[in-house]
Amino acid sequence: MTAVIERPAAPPVRAPWRDRVRRAAIWAALVFVTLAVVRQVTGANALTSAGTVNDAIGLAVPIGLAALGGLFSERAGVVNIGLEGMMIFGTWFAGWAGYQWGPWAAVLGGIAGGALFGLVHALATVTFGVDHIISGVAINIIAVGATRYLSSRFFLGREDGGVNQSPSVPLIGRVGVPGAGGPLGTLEGKHWFLVSDLAGLLRGLFTDVSLLTILAVLLVPAAFWLLWRTGFGLRLRSVGESPVAAESLGVPVYTMKYAGVVISGALAGLGGAFLVTVYDGKFLENQTGGRGFIGLAAMIFGNWRPGGLAAGSALFGYTDSLRLREGSAAVHALLLFAAILLAILAIRAGVTRRWIPAGALAVAAVGFGVVFAVTDQVPAVLTPLVPYAVTLVVLALAAKRLRMPAADGLRYRKGETG
Amino acid sequence: MRLAAFVAVGAMALAACGNTEDPGSATSSSKGGLAVGLAYDIGGRGDKSFNDSAANGLDKAKKELGATAEEVSPNQAGTDRADKLKGLVDSKKNPVIAVGFKYADDLKKVAAANLGTNFAIVDDGSIQAPNVANILFAEEQGSYLVGVAAALKSKAKHVGFVGGVQSPLIQKFQAGFQAGVKSVDPAIKVDVQYLTAPPDFGGFAAPAKGKVAAKGMIDSGADVVYHAAGGSGSGVFDAVVEARAAGKAGTWAIGVDQDQYLTANDSQKKVILTSMIKRVDVGVFDFLKKFKDGEKPSGPQVNDLKSGGVDYATSGGYVDDIKDKIEAAKKDIIDGKVTVPAKP
Repeated sequence: MTAVIERPAAPPVRAPWRDRVRRAAIWAALVFVTLAVVRQVTGANALTSAGTVNDAIGLAVPIGLAALGGLFSERAGVVNIGLEGMMIFGTWFAGWAGYQWGPWAAVLGGIAGGALFGLVHALATVTFGVDHIISGVAINIIAVGATRYLSSRFFLGREDGGVNQSPSVPLIGRVGVPGAGGPLGTLEGKHWFLVSDLAGLLRGLFTDVSLLTILAVLLVPAAFWLLWRTGFGLRLRSVGESPVAAESLGVPVYTMKYAGVVISGALAGLGGAFLVTVYDGKFLENQTGGRGFIGLAAMIFGNWRPGGLAAGSALFGYTDSLRLREGSAAVHALLLFAAILLAILAIRAGVTRRWIPAGALAVAAVGFGVVFAVTDQVPAVLTPLVPYAVTLVVLALAAKRLRMPAADGLRYRKGETG
Repeated sequence: MRLAAFVAVGAMALAACGNTEDPGSATSSSKGGLAVGLAYDIGGRGDKSFNDSAANGLDKAKKELGATAEEVSPNQAGTDRADKLKGLVDSKKNPVIAVGFKYADDLKKVAAANLGTNFAIVDDGSIQAPNVANILFAEEQGSYLVGVAAALKSKAKHVGFVGGVQSPLIQKFQAGFQAGVKSVDPAIKVDVQYLTAPPDFGGFAAPAKGKVAAKGMIDSGADVVYHAAGGSGSGVFDAVVEARAAGKAGTWAIGVDQDQYLTANDSQKKVILTSMIKRVDVGVFDFLKKFKDGEKPSGPQVNDLKSGGVDYATSGGYVDDIKDKIEAAKKDIIDGKVTVPAKP
């Protein structure tokens, strides 16, 4: 009798990212169909209208750029709570360059301004070993005061300029797929189930889009490629996971950290420049409105990955667009959407016999359903909070296992062994 | 750790740089003349809005009443308002004017501790003290008039209101506007949207949000949008400019606080139908004049249509064809035939 050595069956070889992409696509389709159902039931046509989609992207991009900035910094092991400040500098330098030399100069100015203060953050945290949070908070405080001071020096007395705003900056041009707007618009106007929803989505995505928006959206796959498919990205991530090991293999740790933080500042600055050149048409005090912090949160709940942070930013942009455009009625329809989605999650948990989460999700689903049924609209005073609440809840539910880079936020000294 | 402390201290010092006093304003002597202490809201002179309007009133008082003044503004976070007020009292300024309702809590305490000094506060009616005057505006009356204009110009019978922050002050604008629209035709639909709710006052500096809100209204059929959203208003104007460019020819925006036709850029000028003017300068000047004349004003000093404290703008000539109807509405309010609600 021969001994049989049992081998565990080898798992089918498949690139893990393909699985992830497929899962994300299935979820996106599910969410979209649910939205279409809710629109049909409630008659809140704004849920999938081209305008909502278009503005959702516009509102998501600055948050997403800040989040991407956070990604580069934290993947290199430097916590960047100064994103907001770098974004503020981005808006100021964009305003300063933009009113003199046009919108594309504003974009460059914003990138340079953000990168400059990324460099300051890198100098403080990497070279001098300052606590990352303290340096970041300092940059946020400096940004507010310094831009006010700079404005009083450079903008006060110019036409349209003042201590709290720059002269006007021309907006960046908008483009679209030629000829797509008309037929899609007609189709959207019919309010057919799913067909009109799809038409609205496509019209929102492919007509009247700012060139900078296109560029910014492309930066998400570009960041993925750079960080996960190139040697540079591998080195950058390695210093965020284990700088000691990286150094022992000859990776220039300080250089990589500098690169990560400066790119981080540049991206946050680009987010500021986006506000100036796509929406606001000038630098304006407080115009960032905490987007740097929201981006940081989106990055964390997006599990330090480009896809996750993009999803978080898009979600925030969508809910913000919806509540700004249509107010409490459309937000009220979202309650039904939440109920259906939670019910699906509950069923999924039930199928896999995870009874406690299934029960909790079912209770939440019923709760949302009841609130939807017994109310006519969400109180107007609460609607501004909806984007924050929705993004927080959804990301918290979606992100079950968050894993930050192992050496994120830790001080690293050259030559120290761990 | 020492480095950390150094960086933090450096940051504070730099942040303080932003809080510069306005140049050429800090000189004054109180040799019997009118020595005014004026505390601006965050931003100070040069904000092209509320503070500048107050500054205009003060400048007029300097010229016509021979006033001297010390002008201060709080830090970015607005945490040192009480100190700024005390500083003005300590340097023997009388009267002391605080610009903006955010001074209310601090002014109440400082005024109670300094009964020998006269105070005035713009946009706050909550403080009742013998030495405090409340410079108030009947924003609802001016908003009523631009509501009439909006209703007369709207072909779609659908208009919109974009408020910066959902506070009682901005709701006065909303209430007046709605009443004005309904007075022309009760069937006209009025969309109402606020950008933020307190304590988030970011809605006054968020043109992107203003633009999205206005686009939403225009997409759903509104053709006149009135904003009471401070700096976010330029986003509302841009939304209307874009709607015009996209073929919606009869779309209009209505400005607020100042005659915004005069300060807007060239493309925006074409879409600003009128503006609801709130004359903070008149309110400040009138208070100072009364004070100079020996009166010690206290309690509500309401600036309304009658006193010229609020009004509507005619720059651009876009309301010339409906001017007689707006004037009739104005007369009705002044004569007391129409009472405009201050709450929606």
